[in-house]
Amino acid sequence: MSKVKAAIYWCSSCGGCDESIVDLGERILAIREAVDFVFWPCAMDPKYSDVEAMADGEITVSLINGAIRTSEQEEIAKLLRRKSQLVVAFGSCACFGGIPALANLKSKEGIFDRSYLNSPTNVNPEGIVPLEHSKTAEGYPMELPRFYETVYKLDDVIEVDYYLPGCSPNGDMVANAMGAILAGKLPPKGSFLLPDIALCKSCDRNATKPDSLTITEFKRLIHVQADPEQCFLNQGILCMGPATRDGCGYPCVKGNMPCTGCMGPVGSKDQGARMLSALGGILEGESEEQISKVLDGLPDPAGTFYRYSMSSSLMGSKRKENNP
Amino acid sequence: MADKTTLFLCRCGANIADFVDLEALEAWAKTNAGVDHVCVHDFLCAPSGKEFIEETLKSQGSKRAVMAACSPKLHQKTFNECAEHVGMNSAQVGMANIREQCAWVTPDKVQATEKARTLIQAALNRSLLHVDLKPQHMECLTDMVVIGGGIAGIEAALQAAEAGRKVTIFEKEISLGGELIKVEEIAPMGECAPCLLAPRLSAIRDNPDITVVSGVTVTDVLGFSGNFTVKARKKARYITDACIGCEACFEPCPVDVQSTFHLGLGTHKAVYTLFPGSEPAAAAIDQDHCLHLQGKECQACVDNCPFGAIDFAQKDEVIEVQCGAVIVAIGAEVYAPKDVPRLGLNGTSNVFTYAEFERLTCSNGPTGATLTLRNGSAPKSVAVLHCAGSLCADGLSYCSGVCCVNALMAGETIRKQIPDAIVYNIHDRLVLSGAEQEGFMRHQIKSGTQMVPCKDLAGVHIMEQPDGQLSVTVPGQAKLLVDMVILSTGLRPGANAKQLAATLNAELDAYGFFKSDHPILNATGSVIDGIAMAGSCVQPCHAPQSVVMAQAAMGRALSRLVPGRTIELETMVSFIDPEHCAGCKLCMATCPYKAIRFNSEKKTSEVNEAICRGCGTCAATCPSNAITARHFTNDQLLAEVKGVLHG
Amino acid sequence: MAEFEPNIVAFVCNWCSYGGADSAGGQKLAYPANVHLVRVMCSGRIDPEHVVAAFREGADGVMVMGCHPGNCHYRNGNHKALRRFRLFERVLIQLGIAKDRFELEWVAAGEGKKFQEVTTAMTERVRNLGPLSITGNVAEEALHV
Repeated sequence: MSKVKAAIYWCSSCGGCDESIVDLGERILAIREAVDFVFWPCAMDPKYSDVEAMADGEITVSLINGAIRTSEQEEIAKLLRRKSQLVVAFGSCACFGGIPALANLKSKEGIFDRSYLNSPTNVNPEGIVPLEHSKTAEGYPMELPRFYETVYKLDDVIEVDYYLPGCSPNGDMVANAMGAILAGKLPPKGSFLLPDIALCKSCDRNATKPDSLTITEFKRLIHVQADPEQCFLNQGILCMGPATRDGCGYPCVKGNMPCTGCMGPVGSKDQGARMLSALGGILEGESEEQISKVLDGLPDPAGTFYRYSMSSSLMGSKRKENNP
Repeated sequence: MADKTTLFLCRCGANIADFVDLEALEAWAKTNAGVDHVCVHDFLCAPSGKEFIEETLKSQGSKRAVMAACSPKLHQKTFNECAEHVGMNSAQVGMANIREQCAWVTPDKVQATEKARTLIQAALNRSLLHVDLKPQHMECLTDMVVIGGGIAGIEAALQAAEAGRKVTIFEKEISLGGELIKVEEIAPMGECAPCLLAPRLSAIRDNPDITVVSGVTVTDVLGFSGNFTVKARKKARYITDACIGCEACFEPCPVDVQSTFHLGLGTHKAVYTLFPGSEPAAAAIDQDHCLHLQGKECQACVDNCPFGAIDFAQKDEVIEVQCGAVIVAIGAEVYAPKDVPRLGLNGTSNVFTYAEFERLTCSNGPTGATLTLRNGSAPKSVAVLHCAGSLCADGLSYCSGVCCVNALMAGETIRKQIPDAIVYNIHDRLVLSGAEQEGFMRHQIKSGTQMVPCKDLAGVHIMEQPDGQLSVTVPGQAKLLVDMVILSTGLRPGANAKQLAATLNAELDAYGFFKSDHPILNATGSVIDGIAMAGSCVQPCHAPQSVVMAQAAMGRALSRLVPGRTIELETMVSFIDPEHCAGCKLCMATCPYKAIRFNSEKKTSEVNEAICRGCGTCAATCPSNAITARHFTNDQLLAEVKGVLHG
Repeated sequence: MAEFEPNIVAFVCNWCSYGGADSAGGQKLAYPANVHLVRVMCSGRIDPEHVVAAFREGADGVMVMGCHPGNCHYRNGNHKALRRFRLFERVLIQLGIAKDRFELEWVAAGEGKKFQEVTTAMTERVRNLGPLSITGNVAEEALHV
């Protein structure tokens, strides 16, 4: 039987999603029997021209991880889209923007200034910054991918068939997803490859939640010893579980760390809006001063509530037409 | 037809027509893909208008309608009825407010017309997403529970029994009567309190529909209006129903206990009733003081009881009652400012609160109504201090409004026994309303009460002299030297108010009194449907006010819960999708009516549609958007937003 | 160039603020036609997603109006709105959107005058801020944070 062709590509990524393939453990052997990885920059040495040479739809599935920040990433994403039957947005960066999308809290100017010009460890008196068009020392023209003003998620630049969130998706999640793809047992296009329900469904600490939960003060983990059995919210420790998709097996909570929301939103595209709406309902505080005091316990609400989902957030997820 | 709306434009005479170009709107609507038919009328709300609506809806076979007219707060109901007459569900009738919120506030006709257009488009968008709302009815229980057996509770219960309902009174003491049973004559007209109460208590005893459960604490009130379950824990009193209160066991009992009924001014035995002739008549044994129950040898009461009514093996009991409504009438506590040293209320001096003074002058009191000082002699001079411990930082911050008339009564009561007694009433402002109370004060003054005005009552100091007399320093007045001081104090919420409010999920105000649903239109209702209050637990009341509130509270409950009639429920209630609810319970925490309960089997939250009032707060809270706020769904709101912005 | 006319969407609660708007109408107190009202039963019904949807659809400013604290028809829906939106405002600031584009206001059913005042003031404020344009994933003005 002919093997299925698969591609794995990384955009604006940390490499963790590529490593999650390794988390398959011995299951990789079975997958290797059925799948031929034809393009995987992290692990192989393919060329873009190899992909260009393929026929449209020749690749059965492309697993694309990472957010879209440069023109190269957009270009290759589009290339793989043409050449693939199925595209899976693999990992939270591709699904929602991920950690890189926190850069949307700053401007490109600000980022370049900090990274290349004015960070304490920079010595850059000529003020050299990456340019799309420049010349090498020998005078040859050099092109670098254009650095976009904003960080996008994968479906802002191409049509995505399935979403597998997680930072990164764990071995079980990847195995289940690959199994479903290979068996052709897939939900309708556009779906997530995980249940449409929030983490609290599985979490064994949910039973400790009182019927009338209120938060009088936000406590930070560096200040308190978290009770390993009680619901974090009930301890005043922010847990994104209620606004985060289930399916990861909640290893963080099992490790006595609250959920930070890496599996992205459920029932909505805007994880931050949902979480802050829920919190607003259960905070204590009648006067403006009291409310302000409680909210001061969350010094970076945008970063906290949109840690993984900024590109899927507030300002919309309009399909990008052309780059600014 | 299924995806189109019938549009009605109302001219409202000149009210809309003069400010909005309705012809232009009609022309626009005719080309609007979402409109199957548009028509204009002068007054849609008039009889001719309503006929017109019904005829049009019928002839067009309309599935949905939008009325571009006045405010829905005015005529949504009117148009709903028209739709229902032709078999449409009222949820299919939308409105665009182009009068109050457009024609009347936009002077420029072009702008007004454009604004009306966008409002209409918004309503059209929304109407495509309207879903029929099913009218819901619920059967209800019509029996009542009253918590508290003072005058308010007694009257509420009698009211219910008169209407043929079964009613249970839960009383924390071992017998009924509350505060009024401790009074001899009710100020200002001097009605005899025992004469007033006795027939009411007999009526309660003799009525088979009224059950009194005394010596209880209410522990749970579960359910909702029309369907409550009230649970209470009845403490063992070690006396059976055979007891008729003959008191044969009292004298032989060797143990004396401070009587809380007598406010510490007298004692009773370990086996006791509050006073002779109490209702229920059965005695009780104080388990903390009874020798036998403390493990010592004593059978004195058993040996002397002609009815064998003592049962040392009796256990606490849990009583459960189903009812349709609960009336809370737990009264208030008379404030005794023991922690205010300047008032000298230390339990050994001849400073007494007015309530203690009443004990000393009441025939069911420890002295058989003979007023004496602690050493047994009669007081020859008495100072009555108004607002004692009230309107000050170290006491109650508010005026209770019912104490002044009692404070003036003191003089009359004293002079009945000690005609030559000197009585001073030290006061600032006097709270006396109506001609009767005013006349009463003048009568007291004529009879000898000396009014001592003082602008700084918080500066009044009372000091016990070595010989037992009391020196009263009154700022701005000469010092008084008297045999007895009576502190006229205010009322504050009872010690069990907080716990009961929590059990009921009722709200307390800033002072700890039960908060009314609406201070004018529903003073006896709580924010929870089916839970009402009467008497001093709401605000300090005197007897007439308590009775009025009790009759009102029970009256409302009787009108709402009628045997054979079902209750119509709110239709725009929330719905939680069990497939997508993760059971995170955050919605439960935000529901103002505790209308959401957790299904521990399915591990999901569920809305009780009988309690839900349709505010939608839960839908906004749900972190996974699993809650639909019927008739105000996210999609419907978004459709309106699109309509007003894009037209 | 035509003068910029801002679009303001105001979510109003049925019992108080919608009544306040009707009151303004009854008293013929004019306010800018730029203000478009969307009715809900309680200000507690509104969550940030609704506000954001309004911005995304083209609103330059958004208001949420409810009953005065202590007077909510549903006990305390407005308190929830208050806490929700104070938190939301902090996020707006971080996202580089002018805080003045959002306002939470309490208007009672009889406060026609107040309704006129707050809607007029909001329109002016937003007019001075200029249009809010959301390109791609962030607001234009946030690109320069």
